Amino acid sequence: MVHTLSEIKRALVPNGILIDLRPILDRWQVEVVSAREIKETGRVQDFPVGLADDEAANQAMAESEASGWFIREQEEFFPFIYSWDTPNELTEWIEEEWQDFIALDEETKRSTRSAWAVADADARVRLKMKMLIARWRKREQS
Amino acid sequence: MTLQKDTEGNEKKYLHTFADFSNKRVLEIGCGEGRWTWQYAHASSLTVGLDTDPDALRVAVIDKPSDLHHKVHFLRAESEHIPFAKETFDIAALAWSL
Repeated sequence: MVHTLSEIKRALVPNGILIDLRPILDRWQVEVVSAREIKETGRVQDFPVGLADDEAANQAMAESEASGWFIREQEEFFPFIYSWDTPNELTEWIEEEWQDFIALDEETKRSTRSAWAVADADARVRLKMKMLIARWRKREQS
Repeated sequence: MTLQKDTEGNEKKYLHTFADFSNKRVLEIGCGEGRWTWQYAHASSLTVGLDTDPDALRVAVIDKPSDLHHKVHFLRAESEHIPFAKETFDIAALAWSL
């Protein structure tokens, strides 16, 4: 990661901007959503390897700041929604795409299926991810 | 499966709050299939997307709108070896890739 940041520093003009946008594990919320209501049905489980990846990325940015390469100007978190038609689609996606980082426990699967089954016909299942966006500026002399 | 991403449009909103892409030369690292690229590339003067996944890059090239043909380019490259001279870009974007 530090090598990547070093290369970005080289490729940027002085005072150039680096935008860092990535999901942060935080036991993302599972919801069943219809036009009438939003019902939280549980949270995903975070795996240590995913948490370690987040920490490594944070550490790399901190090192680049300590090295005088970049200055952090602004940072915020915002929700990023993934939405599926059915609870099974949510489960399949997590098991196929994100199995190294997160999982759904049986209680959350059950409560999501139950909430979706009794919800209005337009109900969808969604995962509310926590996203980080940060703006860094390359130092003029670095 | 009907998967929808960022149904509230927060990513694009925050992206444009955090950076002004107007007439800027932009390097996107980890561009994948270009989902993020299309959110700002129209404003840029030049956009280069890097990724190591050839299949994703193929999709990005196919999906590229015709009006962006002259100023959006995709390359297979690793972020540890960016194939451009120093001080080429005004903005670098790490898209879900640090």
